[in-house]
Amino acid sequence: MKMKKLTALLLATLMVLSLAACGAKGDSKTENSGDTAQTEEAAATHKSLMDRENEILSENTELWEKVFLAADKGMAMIEDGKNYGDFLLDTIESAKDQFSDEEYALLKKSAQEISEIENKLTELEKQHPEILNEETDANGDVQKFPSFEGKDLDGNEVKSDELFSANAVTVVNFWFTTCSPCVGELGELDALNKELADKGGALIGVNAFTLDGDETAIADAKDVLAKKGATYQNVYFDSSSPAGAFTANIFAFPTTYVVDRNGNIVGEPIVGAITEKNQAETLQSLIDQAIAADAG
Amino acid sequence: MDKKHQTISHLLARWRGWIQAGAALLTNLHLPNFFKGSLYQGAGKTVCVPGLNCYSCPAASGACPIGAFQAVVGSSKFRFSYYITGFLILLGVLLGRFICGFLCPFGWFQELLHKIPTKKLSTKKLKPLTYLKYAVLLVMVVLLPAFLVNDVGMGDPFFCKYLCPQGVLEGAIPLSLANSGIRAALGKLFTWKLGILLAVVALSVVFYRPFCKWLCPLGAFYALFNRVSLFQMKVDENKCVSCGKCARACKMDVDVTKTPNHTECIRCGMCVSACPTGAVSFRYGFGDGKQNINIEENTEEST
Repeated sequence: MKMKKLTALLLATLMVLSLAACGAKGDSKTENSGDTAQTEEAAATHKSLMDRENEILSENTELWEKVFLAADKGMAMIEDGKNYGDFLLDTIESAKDQFSDEEYALLKKSAQEISEIENKLTELEKQHPEILNEETDANGDVQKFPSFEGKDLDGNEVKSDELFSANAVTVVNFWFTTCSPCVGELGELDALNKELADKGGALIGVNAFTLDGDETAIADAKDVLAKKGATYQNVYFDSSSPAGAFTANIFAFPTTYVVDRNGNIVGEPIVGAITEKNQAETLQSLIDQAIAADAG
Repeated sequence: MDKKHQTISHLLARWRGWIQAGAALLTNLHLPNFFKGSLYQGAGKTVCVPGLNCYSCPAASGACPIGAFQAVVGSSKFRFSYYITGFLILLGVLLGRFICGFLCPFGWFQELLHKIPTKKLSTKKLKPLTYLKYAVLLVMVVLLPAFLVNDVGMGDPFFCKYLCPQGVLEGAIPLSLANSGIRAALGKLFTWKLGILLAVVALSVVFYRPFCKWLCPLGAFYALFNRVSLFQMKVDENKCVSCGKCARACKMDVDVTKTPNHTECIRCGMCVSACPTGAVSFRYGFGDGKQNINIEENTEEST
């Protein structure tokens, strides 16, 4: 009897937890979670393939060094887009006389495997362009800001390529309408935009709620922007686009990126409002860095 | 039948530590996120967990009810969060402070710290401090986020922003360790709240659950429901030998024989285990406790 009651209690708790909903945050993000999982999986596969390739190259280092030497002497360097494995195969073929039959067979087999890995990698990169970003980021190399074709809140088309290339520096501020620190810095961002305009730069906002052109969200965002006197451009794009996936991976708002004329992200993103003095200084130094690089 | 009931009460009390561990794990399922320094943002986050568990914990599977409440109340569109309040009332009625004793990860954390062998101090004389948590609930969770607003009508989540040690423990510390951007954003607020966390940690070693007793707004909310909750304590007066062992065993300073549904009772069942005659037990459901409630009210008036 009592056991039943306790079981009922447990079941009730379970039911409550599975049915009741009370989230204020998160709703806007929900639809992206599937994509993110896929991307993560792709990134994991990508990484394991890369690791395998490095492993192959690090076995028999001496032999590979010979191959690389031969490549430096005779071969044309890898053309853009050409499979690295095929390049190795060609090199091995041309330097065939330097190796014993056994070595040649081993190298050829390895190069073939690399060629296959490279094909898979290219395929993955095509399907999930965003995994490249994560990778370059980890290595500390340049990271491209994901390109997008979207609209501003007034419905004008905005293309990232055109936007970035027209400005020595573009500051991209990610925010959402009900985020108090985000709204708190809108005024300063507007001032920064005016300042940047004189230096050949621009500032744009990306409101995470407005992705996919949600009309109420756009109206709300415009309302807040107007109240704070922010006149700079705010853009949105499809949440399924690479830039949309990029936005879904941001979980701390506001986050501000500095992008140079080539569409590369400069430095690390600034997490948190730039109303903090040291954050504003970091942002300013990134902007100066981008402008200096553009001039030089 | 009665005997079986005793057994269940005793079992619940005995296995409480494991239930707490399980609940903490269930509320923080996405463990790999600790290494990625990112947050789970799926559908689970539209639901509140019962205990105090930060939304910004990388592993969190749901939202914190106190955090979610402030987020809604503080937004310019709403003055009050009916949805979350309803959810909390439901939990309060179904379980009351059983959630504190069995399901809350931060309660468990404090209990684990209390297991560190040192001299333990009683909190009996600090009883007035237990009312502080109602002030925290009313002022920091309800009033300030709703009424202290900026020019566009938005309030800050005051409890989360200025007080909550769980946010530092589960959110700020792991996130800043794994994420350089967040590390760079840490400022005075972090230092302040880290101070609070360290104070709670230190106090937890010598006192039993200081945060739950004095500061927790979620505990305060559930405390208001202890009296009407379906989950209650029952003392069989025919079996009770008035030895007082239950009151001495209680670390929340409650005498279960006098006030079985005291606001401070977290249903941990230490009195159940301590009772030599098996007079104290958990009771779940409507009815059969009616006469007990009358007795309890009378005693309360006389004390």
